[in-house]
Amino acid sequence: MREPERQPAPRAPCVLVVEDDTLVRVAICEDLREAGFSVVEAAAADEALSYLGAGQRIDLVFTDIQMPGRLDGIGLARRLRARDPGLPVVLTSGNAAPPDDLDGAVFLPKPYDHRRVAEIALELTGPQRREAE
Amino acid sequence: MTQPCILIVDADVLIRHPLAEYLRECGFRVLEAASATEARQVLEEGRLPIDVVFADVDASGDGFALAAWIRGNHPVVRVILAGSHATAAESAGDLCEDGPIAAKPYDHQFLLAEIRRLLAARERNKDRD
Repeated sequence: MREPERQPAPRAPCVLVVEDDTLVRVAICEDLREAGFSVVEAAAADEALSYLGAGQRIDLVFTDIQMPGRLDGIGLARRLRARDPGLPVVLTSGNAAPPDDLDGAVFLPKPYDHRRVAEIALELTGPQRREAE
Repeated sequence: MTQPCILIVDADVLIRHPLAEYLRECGFRVLEAASATEARQVLEEGRLPIDVVFADVDASGDGFALAAWIRGNHPVVRVILAGSHATAAESAGDLCEDGPIAAKPYDHQFLLAEIRRLLAARERNKDRD
């Protein structure tokens, strides 16, 4: 009798969280990890680009819009979507109104329930989405 | 038993993230800070009790000052300072429990052993008190 072929464990979806508010970032990342995601933390857009420039793969970007540095969250999202048009992006901001050009990104105004972040991440990286692709 | 909590302070995500993931796989709760300022915020907030801070003196902006501040304000927190320059490593000797032990590129297994050693020593001290 043949041994059943062992399937490799599925890779946890990887979320890149870009947020310059340390305490907010730490809390979101902890919640996402508890929800089963692999999480990469970046304090600014430059740091996120540095990580991705090394060829690392991510499944979702969750980024604050207002950040110090050369690029804000919208600029970062544009750069990442230019490389990977199918990459899901969640933009967040303390301004209640979403930016004019979301370019397919999901907008989540602050303050938000951290559990909602994990729910959105699951919706955007879950099996239904992958099957639809 | 609660998971010991490690705070890694390094401005380079390509160094910080792999080390953090390795330590998580080893059973630690790991928080990440991109600078000494961020590390202070995490320690001051106190939502999670930090057991060990691992800070890069070169990249985190002011790693020596951070270590001194931790000693003054959070004396139960153990500190490991790391750096790539010998002079920095010498200075760090005054601020760490047993002097600096890490230089880049970090040997993850060696660091894990060092963190465990510091935590065990702290437990022994607690028992003695």
